[in-house]
Amino acid sequence: MASTSIAVPQAPSLPPALTLLRVVPGVLLLGAIGYLGKFIEQSINAYAKAHHLTIPNIEYVLWAILIGLVVSNTIGVPRVFQPGVATYEFWLKAGIVFLGVRFLLGDVLKLGGLSLSLVGVELTVAIVIMTLLGRIFKLSPKLTSLLAVGSSICGVSAIIATKGAIEADDEDASLAIAAILALGGLSLVIFPLVGHALHLSDRAYGLWAGLAVDNTAEATAAGALFSDAAAKVAVLAKTTRNALIGFVVLAYAIYWAGKGQASEIKNKAGFLWQKFPKFVLGFLLLSLLATFHAFDKAQIGSIANLSRWAFLLTFAGVGLRTNIRELGKQGWRPFVVGAVGEIGIAVITLAIVVVADKFI
Amino acid sequence: MAQEKAPQRRFKLSLDTWAVWTALTLVLLVRLGLVTKVPW
Repeated sequence: MASTSIAVPQAPSLPPALTLLRVVPGVLLLGAIGYLGKFIEQSINAYAKAHHLTIPNIEYVLWAILIGLVVSNTIGVPRVFQPGVATYEFWLKAGIVFLGVRFLLGDVLKLGGLSLSLVGVELTVAIVIMTLLGRIFKLSPKLTSLLAVGSSICGVSAIIATKGAIEADDEDASLAIAAILALGGLSLVIFPLVGHALHLSDRAYGLWAGLAVDNTAEATAAGALFSDAAAKVAVLAKTTRNALIGFVVLAYAIYWAGKGQASEIKNKAGFLWQKFPKFVLGFLLLSLLATFHAFDKAQIGSIANLSRWAFLLTFAGVGLRTNIRELGKQGWRPFVVGAVGEIGIAVITLAIVVVADKFI
Repeated sequence: MAQEKAPQRRFKLSLDTWAVWTALTLVLLVRLGLVTKVPW
């Protein structure tokens, strides 16, 4: 489910060695930007400590995203770096697999079960709100479906999966992706501010970010901007949401096939497996191994740090792939529908999460 | 007349699957002690 298949042109089939070489410059750029973010965070903290100053800690996550944003919106990302920058989603998924080692399976089941029930409510709310708004603003029905899937499940990946299944236009998919990406970017600023203002616990904030922020990379970043513990919960809640992608896409495919505007899916089980995000299985496997003490403390530390490095590359990629001018060219109506819908979803999920955090 | 596409013979892994196998390989290297003390 490469979310980059629309945003970044795919190269023709090349031998594996050449494909690997093509991504090297971009991956180095991701690493350089991510590391610069980490360096800035550490330098500010060291300066504040040396001068006995109290400065709020700005995480490397925000620095990496900001530097990426500045680069992509000023000088732009030169062509030679683009294939490597597009690998940010690969690092995100590898990072989530590594993160499994920091969860005991019991915690995954407990928190995952809570997330699953909350995701059920969030899915219903998101689909109802987006469908209503799409009708009010007279968006094309397929664009409305794409926005509903994007806001209810997992952003760009879900939109691309649904686009194929319901045979939507490229233009509708681009509009929905642009809206979801722009709103994902805004959530990185708004969510931590609201979370701190309301003094949410790490668990409540993590659940909220995992349920209401659409793209997995942004949900992880929004969690990490609050705290490390919140990032863990956000990833778990978001992963639970991602795991349901196949069911929602299948439901939309059946709906549009029923209207005679998409092909019928014959092998439904095969379709569900094809759409199922496989990194969820990797995450669960590592959690299972950690639960049965397959790793010692030092090994768990090393794997957790691998996860941090993978996320560092991801966050640099989030900034680099966001081109504000390009997003602005896409027209205002999908953004308004997306924005109004997302605010509604964020408010409702926040209320649910606060109640769930108090009573469960 | 549209030409029929040759069947895709190359075994292609999705990005998801690549990410999982890469991560699991690195985890195995850590478990075997070939990669130690990853810094942060």
